[in-house]
Amino acid sequence: MLSSDMIASAGTKPFVLAENIAKSYGGVHALAGVSLAIAPGEVHGLVGANGAGKSTLIKVLAGLVQPDAGRVLVDGVPVSLPTPHHATDLGMSFIHQELAFIPGMTVLQNILLGVPKKTRFGMVDWQAAARDVAPIAERVGIKAPLFASVKGLSTAENWLINICRALVRKARLIVMDEPTASLSAAEAEKLFAIVEDLSASGVAVLYVSHRLDEIMRLCSRVSIFRDGRSVGCLEGAAITRPALIEAIVGGKAELAAAPERRAAVKGDVALTVKGITRAPKVNDVSFELRRGEVLGIGGLVGAGRTELVRLVYGADRADRGAMTLDGAPFAPRSATEAVKAGLGLVPEERRAEGLLLTKSVAFNLQIANLANIVRSPVWPLIHRRKREALSLQIVRDLAVKTPGIDTPVGRLSGGNQQKVVIGRWLLRAPKVLILDEPTRGVDIGARGEIHRLVRELAARGMAVIVISSEPDELPDLCDRVLIMVEGRIVSTLEGSAITRNAIVEASYFVGREPVQEDTI
Amino acid sequence: MSMVMSGGRRLSPASKAALGFFARYATIIGLLAMIAVFAFLSPRAFPTVNNFTNVLNQASLAMIIAGGLTLAVIVGELDLSIGFAASLHGVLVTGLIVANKLPIPLAILIVIALGALIGFVNGIIVTKAKVNSVIATLGVGTILTGLAFAYSAGVPIVAGVPEAFLQLSLGRWLFGIPNNIVIMAAVLGGLWILVERTALGQEIQAVGGNPAAARLAGINVDRIKILGFMVSGMCAALTGILLASRLGSGTTSAADSYLLTAFAAVFLGSATMRDGEFHVLGTFVGVLIIAFGFNGLNIFGAPTFSQYIFQGAILIVAVGLASLGRMISES
Repeated sequence: MLSSDMIASAGTKPFVLAENIAKSYGGVHALAGVSLAIAPGEVHGLVGANGAGKSTLIKVLAGLVQPDAGRVLVDGVPVSLPTPHHATDLGMSFIHQELAFIPGMTVLQNILLGVPKKTRFGMVDWQAAARDVAPIAERVGIKAPLFASVKGLSTAENWLINICRALVRKARLIVMDEPTASLSAAEAEKLFAIVEDLSASGVAVLYVSHRLDEIMRLCSRVSIFRDGRSVGCLEGAAITRPALIEAIVGGKAELAAAPERRAAVKGDVALTVKGITRAPKVNDVSFELRRGEVLGIGGLVGAGRTELVRLVYGADRADRGAMTLDGAPFAPRSATEAVKAGLGLVPEERRAEGLLLTKSVAFNLQIANLANIVRSPVWPLIHRRKREALSLQIVRDLAVKTPGIDTPVGRLSGGNQQKVVIGRWLLRAPKVLILDEPTRGVDIGARGEIHRLVRELAARGMAVIVISSEPDELPDLCDRVLIMVEGRIVSTLEGSAITRNAIVEASYFVGREPVQEDTI
Repeated sequence: MSMVMSGGRRLSPASKAALGFFARYATIIGLLAMIAVFAFLSPRAFPTVNNFTNVLNQASLAMIIAGGLTLAVIVGELDLSIGFAASLHGVLVTGLIVANKLPIPLAILIVIALGALIGFVNGIIVTKAKVNSVIATLGVGTILTGLAFAYSAGVPIVAGVPEAFLQLSLGRWLFGIPNNIVIMAAVLGGLWILVERTALGQEIQAVGGNPAAARLAGINVDRIKILGFMVSGMCAALTGILLASRLGSGTTSAADSYLLTAFAAVFLGSATMRDGEFHVLGTFVGVLIIAFGFNGLNIFGAPTFSQYIFQGAILIVAVGLASLGRMISES
């Protein structure tokens, strides 16, 4: 736990100090009391697992989110940040992953977005503005002419424009969220140099990243968040990879391996994937899946896991690669074809992609199973008793808590909604069932039931793929786990090697390719 | 009311229930109230079997075209081409019978097939070329108007329309019930069964409800949308044919105004009984409201312009009620 002593020991007086910030959304704590002290001119790292509260804290500092408790001090003075303007005026600038820039405008216009400009006779004096901006642009290394269009500039150059904008606004703190996520190795090097230069000139940088190597290299201090709390602050030589991972995961205590991992009595190969690629998110992925096997795909959000299963499912088309299903070539051109061939998907976004919220439980259960509940193929009226009986059976088997099968599914709790999506596929008994984050937003009881169900389906011979961002979930569930990092499978864990720590360790693996021409 | 809703404030369960009831049954209550008021004000002319049959007969064409439009809106698209298409179909069917001397059933079949084709083209433009359906169908509709003028040179085809064709709309072949009503009942009944009772209907509802979820559940979303446009196109064709038969002529632009009636009815229908969801029975109620409204205005000798004002106001009220229903069901 981060003590107030540790904050005080920040040496020089902090530029920005956040104290015990709390924020909850509908009873869920996004932040349960985090503190952070950023000294002038330091490069301060911020790390934590997905959902640890990093983004929420940044939004609080940016004036985008109002905290429920706690306070923010700038230069020792408590401030309120009701809007982003206030944050900017206090000298804080934010560069988000999705870069704010307007494609139709020039470099200069983008740099000066939202900045008051000199005018002559009521018109913007762009020449004067360019004279002011030019030295700053040169300092951060913008090569493109100020009056050129930003169309066609690389992500790296857009980063420079954003940094330049922050400097024009006389920022004393620049917050960078996953700055190297879409940069090549060479571009990242340039960015590091700029970060060091900023620091040397007295501009502090809050560096938020999953890439621990970069954190270790750049940062003089690192704050670690876990489950919405500050869990530590490492300084100087104490910033090591094991220390960071230990803090992110929370203690060395290793959970016991899944209680009963079945012996390797797996069936025939159900699905093979060979060299499947869809730039830039999925890169040359190959794996095999057997009947009766639960295959986990771990890694960080954004590692390309959802994109990978969408390719398998025909929801997106691959650039390259081949697949087989039960030994036959399998190249679905749409989800419709994949479903016909015997696949099922429980999507990540349950409410947006899984369910028709205003329709009944029965409607949602039967929507992929209509051929089985019509009176006859030539007289395709719905057999209402059959529909009712099958729906009730699923509701009973999966213990879906609902007033009835005619209740709109939107009124059910998250866990019960998820059971309806899974139940839909049980009616079809697909050969391969893919579950993307099956227990996200699901209460602990329903989570256990869903896990039991998945094991049971596998025991019956179904081949199952489970994606999960929670390191705890896969060890309980899977026979084998693939770890994806930046669109590639970087390691495979099997049997008792599937542990929470092993998954986290592998997820933070950085194996960036050497610079490739086509990625710039 | 909408102020309260858009303010995002939580409603008490009681007021939510009351508001929900109002949103769901306001249309039916309004229809009954309107009938009651007209009956009270004009006890001799209005509440007669004759007048009611007459209203239903008049409304049948609007019901058919609005029934077709209902399918298009259920799959989540708008079809603005229907009125213009119906006008073209009226001109064409008369022309085929009068000028080309085609047998009446054949002429009708050709025109209905053309209606399906127009719907198919609309569907392809929307699903494959990804043109917004408002723009696509407005464009197609305008082209159809041009074709109607090109075909008839803008001159109504009146001379030589055979009596047998007129009887299609004017006759009473089944138990003395006007043909229009029989055909309308068959079409709306068929559409209702299609949407509510068949497997295809479940897919149609799913596509309109959440296209992303429908796609991932394995439904061929594009095909269902194209089907929705085709049903809409065929119903527009049938309306155009019956209108030409009733008027005894093929007149360009004769059916254009059905577009507005159909939209008002479809949105009134979505505010009926279900919270902002389009459905065939609702559309039926929607057309009845408009038809009885017109009938009442006529009986009391209200000037023609008042009909436009009535219809425009109804359209706005209908859409308002529909979105109120949706907000309640989502809150």
